[in-house]
Amino acid sequence: MALLQIAEPGQSTVPHEHRLAAGIDLGTTNSLIASVQSGNASTLSDDEGRDILPSIVSYQADNILVGQTAQALSIEDAQNTITSAKRLIGRSLKDIQGKYPSLPYEFCGDENHPEIMTRQGAVNPVQVSAEILKTLNLRAQAALGGELTGVVITVPAHFDDAQRQSTKDAAKIAGVSVLRLLNEPTAAAVAYGLDSGQEGVIAVYDLGGGTFDISILRLNKGIFEVLATGGDSALGGDDFDVVLVDHLVAQAGLVRPLSPSLERQLMQQACFAKEQLTTKEEVDITISLDGDSDWKTSLTKVQLNELIGSLVNKTLRACRRTLKDADITIDEVIEVVMVGGSTRVPLVRSEVEKHFNKTPLTSIDPDKVVAIGAAIQADVLVGNKPDSDMLLLDVTPLSLGLETMGGLVEKVIPRNTTIPVAKAQEFTTFKDGQTAMAVHVLQGERELVEDCRSLARFELRGIPAMTAGAAHIRVTFKVDADGLLSVSAMEKSSGVESSIEVKPSFGLDDNQISQMIKDSMSNAEEDMQARMLKEQQVEASRVIESVQAALVADSRLLNSDEVNVIENAIKSLAQVSQGIDIKAIENALDKLNDSTAIFAERRMDSSISQALAGQAVDKI
Amino acid sequence: MNYFQLFNIEVSFDVDLQQLSSNYQTLQKAVHPDKFAHASEQEQRIAVQKSAHINDAYQTLKNPLQRAQYILVQRGVEMPNEQHSFQDTSFLMRQMELREMLEDVRHSGDVDAALLEVQSVLSTEYIELSQIMRTQISENNAASNSAACDNLRKLKFYQKLNVEVDRLEDSLLDD
Repeated sequence: MALLQIAEPGQSTVPHEHRLAAGIDLGTTNSLIASVQSGNASTLSDDEGRDILPSIVSYQADNILVGQTAQALSIEDAQNTITSAKRLIGRSLKDIQGKYPSLPYEFCGDENHPEIMTRQGAVNPVQVSAEILKTLNLRAQAALGGELTGVVITVPAHFDDAQRQSTKDAAKIAGVSVLRLLNEPTAAAVAYGLDSGQEGVIAVYDLGGGTFDISILRLNKGIFEVLATGGDSALGGDDFDVVLVDHLVAQAGLVRPLSPSLERQLMQQACFAKEQLTTKEEVDITISLDGDSDWKTSLTKVQLNELIGSLVNKTLRACRRTLKDADITIDEVIEVVMVGGSTRVPLVRSEVEKHFNKTPLTSIDPDKVVAIGAAIQADVLVGNKPDSDMLLLDVTPLSLGLETMGGLVEKVIPRNTTIPVAKAQEFTTFKDGQTAMAVHVLQGERELVEDCRSLARFELRGIPAMTAGAAHIRVTFKVDADGLLSVSAMEKSSGVESSIEVKPSFGLDDNQISQMIKDSMSNAEEDMQARMLKEQQVEASRVIESVQAALVADSRLLNSDEVNVIENAIKSLAQVSQGIDIKAIENALDKLNDSTAIFAERRMDSSISQALAGQAVDKI
Repeated sequence: MNYFQLFNIEVSFDVDLQQLSSNYQTLQKAVHPDKFAHASEQEQRIAVQKSAHINDAYQTLKNPLQRAQYILVQRGVEMPNEQHSFQDTSFLMRQMELREMLEDVRHSGDVDAALLEVQSVLSTEYIELSQIMRTQISENNAASNSAACDNLRKLKFYQKLNVEVDRLEDSLLDD
């Protein structure tokens, strides 16, 4: 029988093994991947030395192109070349068509699960994002020389639950293990804070291609505490392009609908003109119209500023509101950090400067800062920096609540609550003898259900028949450190917890995800099995390692019988994970997890009481 | 372990907010899920649970009204139901006046000035009332606890009015 190794007390429990981890900025327009290597975080480039990957995926007859090669086809093959998929992720068809009426795609699928018809069949926006993640993952493997243990993927702070869940689903399809979803402005604050060593209140103004976030943070000794966050998940540089395109269409006397490739061409010209006007006062624009004639015009910086003025103002209103939520005055803000490519627009810079009454910080590359911050956190989360003092305390961007009588929303968790959070609220029945209750979970700030975003609906059944108002139904909302919500409900007086099934209003269920994973593999069934086996084996060795480390550090919290039970569970898991029986590994994993429940709880309680233990002595 | 013990501070309405915040951060450094991202599933689950509990405790002690309520409930004072009607008619009258004042803001000639005026009146009365409650909590006898409880309910009315002021201010910003 193999003997278990035990380290000396106080000695580092796990031999120092550098694990590969990366931070991914999955952007609307561009995506990047970064990693910490020998203490320095930097972006990773492809074999041609480019670190920016355009977030564009083109579905060709026999292959899928991602990035620059896809971009090259975006005009001539607009319908099969998908750009800005991030704007479509986790949204309903109605949302998409209302917000972006002139997209060059053919939509299919149902109302809440829209898909894009391509040459390769129907494609979900989640799959498009997965292709981008796959490409970045391969790039990182090549650059770092091995498989990644895990990644941190950034999302706009303002992303709602469906959009966050969809991002995680995309990672699952891509076969990338997610350590954490991190809010983009928080990632930027990490990169900035660690770089500058500043302490105090900062504002991060993050205007990307498709989203706008403003976050107010307090930086203190390695702790990044988000005080409040606000913004708009559908406002970005792309919207500047949209108003420019509308202007050009009107100027040229064109009548919509236009051909997909003309729409794409107008979009590219608008974007190009916008970028040129960063340094120039005027720019010439030439559009080749369908039927070979060219139309020429020019655009001045003054015209651009007039066109985008109200959009920029909208961001400033969000800044004001978020400062108020944070209970911070403008004078308390020591620095405004600019993030996102759209903060290069001169009007944005000057208006932000005017609003905050200080020169915004633009010295960190606004394209890379988010990926870099994510890489730093990934390095810590994966366990490469056991002595790190860094801690990120983030918040929920939007209030979470339930539908009550009369189509009203009762808030259970208000926006800007520090996560993780668990909150319960009690409800009662409306009619005598009522035995079921429909629970409708919503996200948003407004009072009426129709103005908020529907996240999920479920039914609580088996409530004992009582007079109206006698039943006590306790609904518990939990938001984890990724900002993802789970909801459970139970009837209190009967003490029976009814089982519930949450059907997401948007996004994919588990079956759809595994189907997509299968679809993405050439030898579907076998590949799938191989992948699942590998995932379980990796998980098994991860858990064994961590439980062994816990035993070394804290076995004093257990009696010898308890230690035996855990050690036996470790042994049987170690044994079955050598084999190929996926189900057996799963069972052994569950068994080990169950056997360590009490141990984990005692360890956590012990570290809580130890955390402040030294203090009483200090005071004397 | 009650919230005060959890944060290793004295049970009192007068909390040293800086101490509270620094102890909160120390505790989060010990239990936050980010510290267990590579640990077993059990440890991750319990870390989320403990971290959420500490967040909840921190919010309760940080917010004066929640803190007052927590102290009173810990002392065994029974909190009347929110819907329970108030006996104090002069306070009810005052509430109606304040509400009317708030309604009038929207139709006033100088909306900003009117809003500022309401905010200043609300804040003066709130501070006055919370000072009284603070003294009553520190006296800590049956009569003072029950009086503190009444004042806490009144302060919650002010809090609701403040939420409405915020909402009004938001809607004016949107225009």
